[in-house]
Amino acid sequence: MHSFMPLTTVFPGLVWAMAALALVQTARRAALWRVGSAAPVAWLHGLARLPRRYLVDVHHVVARDPYASRMHAVVAGGLLAASLLTALAILPPLAQSRAYWLLVALAFAVTAVGSVLVGARRYPAKQKRLSAGRFQILPFLLLAYAVGGTLTALLLAVGTGGIALPFTLALAAAGGLGLAFEVRQGPMRHAVAGALHLAAHPRPGRFEGRPDTALQPLDLEAPRLGAEMPADFTWNRLLSYDACVSCGRCEIACPAFAAGQPLNPKRLIQDLVAGLNPAEPPYAGNPYPGGREAEGERGPLARLIGPDARIHPDTLWSCTTCRACVEECPMMIEHVDAVVSLRRYQTLERGALPEKAIGPVTELRQSGDAGGRPLPARTDFAAGLDLPLMADRGQADVLLWLGEGAYDLRYGRTLRALVRLLRQANVDFAVLGPEERDTGDLARRLGDEATFQALARENVATLAKYRFARIVTADPHALHALRNEYPAFGGPYTVVHHTAFLLELIRAGRLTPGRLPDLSVTYHDPCYLARYNGETEAPRAVLDAIGLARVEMARSGKRAMCCGGGGGAPVSDIPGERRIPDLRMAQAAETGAGVVAVACPSCTAMLEGVTDRKAEVRDIAELLLQAVEAGR
Amino acid sequence: MIANADALLKPLTIKGLTIRNRVMSTSHAPGYGRDGKPQERYQLYHAEKAKGGIGLTMFGGSSSVAPDSPAAPWNQISVADDSVIPYFRQFSDRVHAHGGKLMIQLTHMGRRTKWDTEHWLPTISPSPRREPASRTIPKEMEEEDIARVVKSFADAARRCREGGLDGCEVSAAHGHLIDQFWSPSVNQRTDKYGGSLENRMRFGIEVLEAMRAAAGDDYVIGIRMSGDEMIADGLSQEDCLTIATEYAKRGLVDFLNVLGGQARDHIAHAISLPNMSFPVAPFLFLPSAIKREVDIPVFHAQRVTDLATAARAVAEGHVDMVAMTRAHIADPHLVKKLSEGRADDIRQCVGAGYCIDRIYVGGDALCIQNAATGREATMPHEIRKADLRRRVVVIGAGPGGLEAARVCAERGHAVVLFEKSGQAGGQIGLAAKAGWREAMSGIPRWLVAQVTKLGVDLRLNTEATEAAVLAEKPDVVIVATGGTPFRGHAKGAEQHAVTTAEVLSGAVEPTGSVLLYDEMGQHNASSVAELLAKRGCLVEIATHDRMVAEEVGTTNQPIHLRELYKLGVVMTPNMELIEIYPEGNRFVAALRNTMTDAEEERVVDRIVVDHGTLPVDELYRALKGASVNHGQTDQDAMLRGEPQPFDLSKGYALYRIGDAVAGRNIHAAIYDALRLCKDL
Repeated sequence: MHSFMPLTTVFPGLVWAMAALALVQTARRAALWRVGSAAPVAWLHGLARLPRRYLVDVHHVVARDPYASRMHAVVAGGLLAASLLTALAILPPLAQSRAYWLLVALAFAVTAVGSVLVGARRYPAKQKRLSAGRFQILPFLLLAYAVGGTLTALLLAVGTGGIALPFTLALAAAGGLGLAFEVRQGPMRHAVAGALHLAAHPRPGRFEGRPDTALQPLDLEAPRLGAEMPADFTWNRLLSYDACVSCGRCEIACPAFAAGQPLNPKRLIQDLVAGLNPAEPPYAGNPYPGGREAEGERGPLARLIGPDARIHPDTLWSCTTCRACVEECPMMIEHVDAVVSLRRYQTLERGALPEKAIGPVTELRQSGDAGGRPLPARTDFAAGLDLPLMADRGQADVLLWLGEGAYDLRYGRTLRALVRLLRQANVDFAVLGPEERDTGDLARRLGDEATFQALARENVATLAKYRFARIVTADPHALHALRNEYPAFGGPYTVVHHTAFLLELIRAGRLTPGRLPDLSVTYHDPCYLARYNGETEAPRAVLDAIGLARVEMARSGKRAMCCGGGGGAPVSDIPGERRIPDLRMAQAAETGAGVVAVACPSCTAMLEGVTDRKAEVRDIAELLLQAVEAGR
Repeated sequence: MIANADALLKPLTIKGLTIRNRVMSTSHAPGYGRDGKPQERYQLYHAEKAKGGIGLTMFGGSSSVAPDSPAAPWNQISVADDSVIPYFRQFSDRVHAHGGKLMIQLTHMGRRTKWDTEHWLPTISPSPRREPASRTIPKEMEEEDIARVVKSFADAARRCREGGLDGCEVSAAHGHLIDQFWSPSVNQRTDKYGGSLENRMRFGIEVLEAMRAAAGDDYVIGIRMSGDEMIADGLSQEDCLTIATEYAKRGLVDFLNVLGGQARDHIAHAISLPNMSFPVAPFLFLPSAIKREVDIPVFHAQRVTDLATAARAVAEGHVDMVAMTRAHIADPHLVKKLSEGRADDIRQCVGAGYCIDRIYVGGDALCIQNAATGREATMPHEIRKADLRRRVVVIGAGPGGLEAARVCAERGHAVVLFEKSGQAGGQIGLAAKAGWREAMSGIPRWLVAQVTKLGVDLRLNTEATEAAVLAEKPDVVIVATGGTPFRGHAKGAEQHAVTTAEVLSGAVEPTGSVLLYDEMGQHNASSVAELLAKRGCLVEIATHDRMVAEEVGTTNQPIHLRELYKLGVVMTPNMELIEIYPEGNRFVAALRNTMTDAEEERVVDRIVVDHGTLPVDELYRALKGASVNHGQTDQDAMLRGEPQPFDLSKGYALYRIGDAVAGRNIHAAIYDALRLCKDL
């Protein structure tokens, strides 16, 4: 009895030492976060909600990979339980309980099983999306700690420690202290930074069941606009990048990565991390497509973007802002916010928009339309349909927001179909016509916040002149700007996507479509409708209402793949090895559907621009009109 | 999508009237008027264009404002009294229902009409000079005549407005009364209406001022005028520019509808209505020049057959609206197809002039390739699906067979189309080989594209035999095997004559001297004569008719004659070929003058004949016995627009169409196919 008394203290002491080491490592890392600017964080609320955010929101994402989910539950649960139980063993009553040590041993054994699961993803061959580097030693550290801990606890339980105990303890110490050491710039950083990030998340609305996707307005009077270097981000954004566990789920989801454009969201986040810390170990994941490797300067005040910096400007402009990476990230990182912050600096401080985007953005600023087309020409598509103008009517139940698609010949067909449907259903509607300006979506995503704000103010002032209950639009980009981003400029509107509105009309019996049974259709979710606004059901319900044989693509709903049309990517036009819409149409072709149903002017343009496509691209309004005409 | 399509699809607003796009159809006289009124046929013809997306359709070419400009000659419209107003109301409602705008052309034709067609009033003109085309000597107008006609125009404008028409234009082109005053080639007056250009413009100014006063300043009134009369003693381009700018400056007109040339005789007429021998948009420079001088919209028509040319004309700023009149006769839905991204489905006008040539011989305008145009009450432009899917076999991919296959496939039937040769198109393939007739190939090109798209099983290089047809287990068999050229009745012709078809196909390549004997008076002989003369042959074309190419219409025949004269082809009318016999390695042709019976001989290297075709009907006769209908089409059912009344459970029905029945023309073959197959 006497002989192992000190050891029952040494073992919990090890865990306390680990905790202390982890704390020191975290503090060293936190010193770096402090270079970031201030951010309002509701700490108490965040910490109180932390368990729920972890168990519900994080788990929801992690569970999409069932193996990873099981692995993490076992290894993290085991590690936490074993360490906590061991730490508590400094209390003598517990330390002297054999049953307690058996329980500890069990917890370590579970951790050991988890460690094997962790290792199985990396040995004999690493899963492609995972990073190597220090992550490759993680299973060994875990295993050493778990096996050492299991054996130590067992020996303490049976009480025959003898000469074996120091060795098992040493094994546990090697693994455990190694893990604690890795909290600063190794794999274990994700645990600490991830937990803090969940509590201090810059978009808490994500966890309250509302799509918190609006970009935050930029104070245009601020001395620096956007982010040039790590220190330009707020401290909790810097923290959030440190939460990255290099799992690579984002790169699998990223359309630009798939198209071989020079963007890999994981690498981008890791470059933000490495940019902050000159001593960061080398990146060990998949590179940016194109194989560019540039070290650039590092440090809180180092320039992040540039032809010779860590991040090439083409990487920045390849992003379609589709939020697929954000949707897939188990650490809840906001990649798109980072991209837009960096773009804001490039655009507003350096005037360094990609060459092909300069024209459209300049036109937006000067004339209110990216194509420089006269504003009255927006209603050209409807000549002969006698669109009612708000300027003549003053008020209407529905204000139909036409958007940029109205200028496009192809999309004019969709809008004509929509107008006919509204007429058919006797909807009291009107358009702004020549008074409508671009919402500024393109400018905002490309970082030109000044142009966006000017357009937003003009539109808000125009809308204030009229009385209407709701805005209906067929353009999810306009919908997002009007619904989620205009409130910051004094415009709280009820904005409805045309598919939701049409569904309402069908359900109210105001439209009585026939059925179009001969067509099989697959629906392509627009990013700005599904991911930005969570609306995936109404378009499908309309298709079902007209009796179409609906098949889903492998990626659909909030996990759908982007068409390539968002975020100014079509105007930036960064070359890749493939085209995003080609990839998406190939996915649609896999379903065998003869029609790809769309609900967004950008998607229509991108997908219909695919050569040699096997399926027709038709907006839901067009299909519904056909059904309504068939039903007559 | 074609380049600059957005330029075409922009609306145009004239005095508060918004036209939804830049594509229009000019006023013309399709011969559909009845009793001087635009009745159902006329209205449906234009409503179809409105349904097809056209911005503005103008009807009533040369609609008359006074009885001494009678409406009878082209079955036209009389706006000389109020009885026409209810028809205008009905008409404009029909067109407006589809979002189109509707205008009419008003005119007094002056000397350019006949005195013996309706009211037996003398024709009138500023000066008593006979016009070759109308063949009348007019009365010189007195001041009282001028005042009367001015009032007639004003009353007519009021009737247009009361009838709900969106506007009107006056015709001052093609040698009508207003431009008879303008043109020094007609106007030799010495009073205030003659002499200086200022004086010659006076009558038109009085007309337009009176119309404005009667219809209101806010009513859209335009003018159709020439940009250059292109005759030595006529209006020069500079004169026309002066007139256009003066009328525009005075605020008399809201748009100018500009064309090139005039129409006082055969060749001038053919040039002002350019056929397929002309390049597209040959006179676009004329409205373009005027557009630079005026600030009102300029319209233009003249062989703009394709949307790419139309879009270019607008996008480059030559004109504000493009008239595609004949293009709409070929396909009234062309704007809709453009805006729906289906431009490839547009049946493009080939410029054959079949539509216009028919009206100058008193017929109704019909399209050589679209049998539904002008027959909207009975023939569909959009084919409805059948309730029952049948198996249809069509033999022969000429125009008739292709149209039959197309319509049957649109009906939803499973269609097999056999074609013996390696190319679809039938005899059109031959016609297109002859010089300026190349554009004829556009007819089968569209049909082949459509049947391919519709999934017709087109089997080229496959001769249909009785067994091959029956192996398809057909419900319906349509024989469209066409015709084979006939060598005629002259003694020795069977052994020694070759046919125009053999020359065009390349089976025979004549050299040296050629006698071309023509009994048809169609394009075939003239085309071949031109072709041979260009290849270096010394050609004489002899015909039974009073003149060469007598059956060819008025916009095409002058072009043939011009070419034949230029090439030195000897033209010998009133001759009958009676015998051919060889002499050495040459041939002797015996010809007999049909008037005097005097006989002549020619010794030539080759004798080519055109006697039309005889049906290719062996397969039809082989299939006839076993068919449920003995190969007979129930004509009464077909004319009533009802399905053929045969019981297909007992076997297949057999039909024969086109030249396989009797040698006729492309329109006949296509109409045979459409009216039979739309109800199958």
